Amino acid sequence: MATVPEGDFGFHEARRTADHESFLAHKRLRWLKVALVLSLAAILGYAFADVEPRPNGGTWYGYLLGTVGTLLIVWLALLGVRKRAMTAGRWSLKAWTSAHVYLGLTLIVIATLHTGFQLGWNVHTLAYALMLLVIASGVYGIAVYALLPAKLSTNRREMTKGQMVEALAAIDRQLEAAAQPLGRADADVVIGALEQDPFGHGLIARLTGRYRGCLTGRAIDALEGRAAADTAIERVTGLLGKRQAQLEQIRRHMRLKALLEVWLYVHVPLTVMLLAALTAHIVSVFYYW
Amino acid sequence: MTFRIRTVDVTATGREIVRERELAQTGLSIGRSAENDVHLPDLAVEQRHVEVAPTPEGKLRLKAAGTLGFTLDGRATRDAVVDPAEGAELALGSYRLQFASEDGAALVTIRQAEEKEGGKGQALGGFSLGHVLPGKRPVAWAGLAAILLAFLAVPVWTHLNRAEAEPGADRHGDGAGAVMMDASWRTGALSSVHHGLEDQCESCHTEPFVAVRDETCLTCHEGITDHAAQPRQAVARGPMEPGDALQWEVAHALNKPGPGACTDCHTEHEGRGRMEPTRERFCADCHGSLDARLTDTALGNARDFGKAHPQFQAVLTTAREQTEPVRVSLAERPRQWNGLRFPHELHLNARGGVTQMARRLGTKGGYGDQLECNDCHRPTADGVRFLPVDMENDCESCHSLVIDQVGGVYRKVRHGDAEQARAELMALGRASRPPIVAGRGRPGEYGGLYRANFGGPATGRALLARAMAKEGLCGECHVPAGAAGSLEVMPVTQPSRFFMHGWFDHEEHKQEQCTSCHAADTSDASSDLLLPEIGQCRDCHQGESAREAEVPSGCAMCHSYHPREGAAAAPARIARK
Repeated sequence: MATVPEGDFGFHEARRTADHESFLAHKRLRWLKVALVLSLAAILGYAFADVEPRPNGGTWYGYLLGTVGTLLIVWLALLGVRKRAMTAGRWSLKAWTSAHVYLGLTLIVIATLHTGFQLGWNVHTLAYALMLLVIASGVYGIAVYALLPAKLSTNRREMTKGQMVEALAAIDRQLEAAAQPLGRADADVVIGALEQDPFGHGLIARLTGRYRGCLTGRAIDALEGRAAADTAIERVTGLLGKRQAQLEQIRRHMRLKALLEVWLYVHVPLTVMLLAALTAHIVSVFYYW
Repeated sequence: MTFRIRTVDVTATGREIVRERELAQTGLSIGRSAENDVHLPDLAVEQRHVEVAPTPEGKLRLKAAGTLGFTLDGRATRDAVVDPAEGAELALGSYRLQFASEDGAALVTIRQAEEKEGGKGQALGGFSLGHVLPGKRPVAWAGLAAILLAFLAVPVWTHLNRAEAEPGADRHGDGAGAVMMDASWRTGALSSVHHGLEDQCESCHTEPFVAVRDETCLTCHEGITDHAAQPRQAVARGPMEPGDALQWEVAHALNKPGPGACTDCHTEHEGRGRMEPTRERFCADCHGSLDARLTDTALGNARDFGKAHPQFQAVLTTAREQTEPVRVSLAERPRQWNGLRFPHELHLNARGGVTQMARRLGTKGGYGDQLECNDCHRPTADGVRFLPVDMENDCESCHSLVIDQVGGVYRKVRHGDAEQARAELMALGRASRPPIVAGRGRPGEYGGLYRANFGGPATGRALLARAMAKEGLCGECHVPAGAAGSLEVMPVTQPSRFFMHGWFDHEEHKQEQCTSCHAADTSDASSDLLLPEIGQCRDCHQGESAREAEVPSGCAMCHSYHPREGAAAAPARIARK
């Protein structure tokens, strides 16, 4: 911002302010208002539309809601394309994201009214269910993006991920040296702890932060009883404790990161599957017209 | 304090060379400069990089001597305290210095770091969830393919390549011509009348992207007639509203038949149970103001049973000389002429003679304490209406036609055959035995408790002569048709239906008393038409949208759109439950 032309101060001031405004609050909640108006209109239309014999996707109002819903879904899915090209201005990525969130939520109203509350075990309800899952995962994503980055930062304690790994490696090298005097059985316990890949645990362990199969913890349990009697074991136990502490930092980091990332593993593939189910839904309805 | 400096070098062949020296001094300096106690020839290390000094507790304090910090146990710092007993690792450039204690001395083992195996990038990737989950793209593509294949490609392919089947052929499951996976396309269960077509979508959805046509419906529903003749029906309907016209324009653009197609009214896939009855408004669109467009119509305007519906019109004979029944509005209070003399009131009076007779016949005769409607009026098998009252079954236990006893056999006048009856009565007079009809018998005396007792001289001829009198054998109930002396009576009409276009189902009204609609208990003449007027029906039945009504009733409850003849004129009683 050092080279801002003098004359454009107003413009750049506005931009600077906008730079630090959340996409949720973009333009004083413009898209929230649009979404609310759209939802309200859909609900009023549903209440007053003259449809026979009862509301569902096959009435004129149902087709109208279906068309609006389809266009919205396709447009919302295009965020995946749009976000790869950042631009400023009215259709800045932030504006787009803001609209994505609020219009996505509107879909709950539009699509639910489109169903006329008639659900079943069919491809139509599959599309509806996928859509709800996509929306739910998106809501979760917004929530964790608001809550977790601060925790992630706290957990770092000014260490980069590389340093965390390096610290673990340093402790491991010391353990390797310190464990030299140990007997076969004890050495095996230490080797087990050292050889276990800190990133080898599965999704559940990452999300919950509970590592039942952690061999470092088991090694501590196996050795600490004899630590008082044997200085070598005492030293190894001490180092294992350090290793455990370092692992915990890495695991907390992985847990927060997993909680931050996991929604996208639902949101993105399910969106693509939703587009497929939506295609099947639309084609099938007109195929068996 | 003693520092033991152990330097480990690795030769090109991998052999380790270990050199050890001891320094007894109060501190240790580490750096690139050769003057240092520990000399590390690495450009990344400062000339004097770290100062090591013992603390009073026997630990070692590491402090950066210059501007650069150092890495202790993987963490960048400028000042730290390490316990040699516990151990620590100091990284400087490519060197690693491990601190430990050995025989009371502080041991510093120096190694040059090997090239990193695996690379840091891979290790850092482990933090990401992508390390343990399959990628988003493969999952997305797989899901996309699975859904399109299962829910689109398979049904479309099998539909296009199905074997032709006869209409009505069972194509359930994997039978010939069945379309696979199209159950997943079902938007809702079929109504119970079409339940047999469930999983046979292609029986109705014959052509892709072509809406269900009337011809398809008519392959099963033969003989369905039009509601009214064209162009009268079109005239009655009047011009379309702009909104409707627009809808139809869109519908036609999308290949939908109509207006007037079967599927316009008979919507399917609305769930199990009965098919949704057609809404009142559909009828009211034309019939609400029919006279405005169809000026010569005989039909009254109707749009809501509770608010706008003409008085009922009954079909009946109102006078003796009528040969054909006529249609009369109940508002005119028509009298019925049915050829019978029958006062309901006399028969239903709880204190009357008839009640006494019924009581004496008792349960053995099928009677209760009093004569009830159903003692004479028997419902049809479907319960919709009533069978004609039958003399032999419904009247004769009291109105006995027994005239004689021969041994243990009772002789009766045959009902319904005037000439035969005349012959019977004539023969009775010639017999030598005194006729049994001379006086009232005692209960249990004959097969029937009651028998003919027409008073006066009880010969057959005498009976015959007075048969047509008001108290006579026939005339008690019948109206004479012939000249004096003839036993001919006027035919009795017992219409099974009074309403031509409306439908009434007694079965559905079972919880009501007969007399709550039919004022039989106060009727003293058979010419009383005991039909309830519309006002009486409105006690319970109001228009479809009437919230206060006990039974909101659309047109389709009583009327059928497709006119049919006779008993079938009922609105199709489809799938009641």
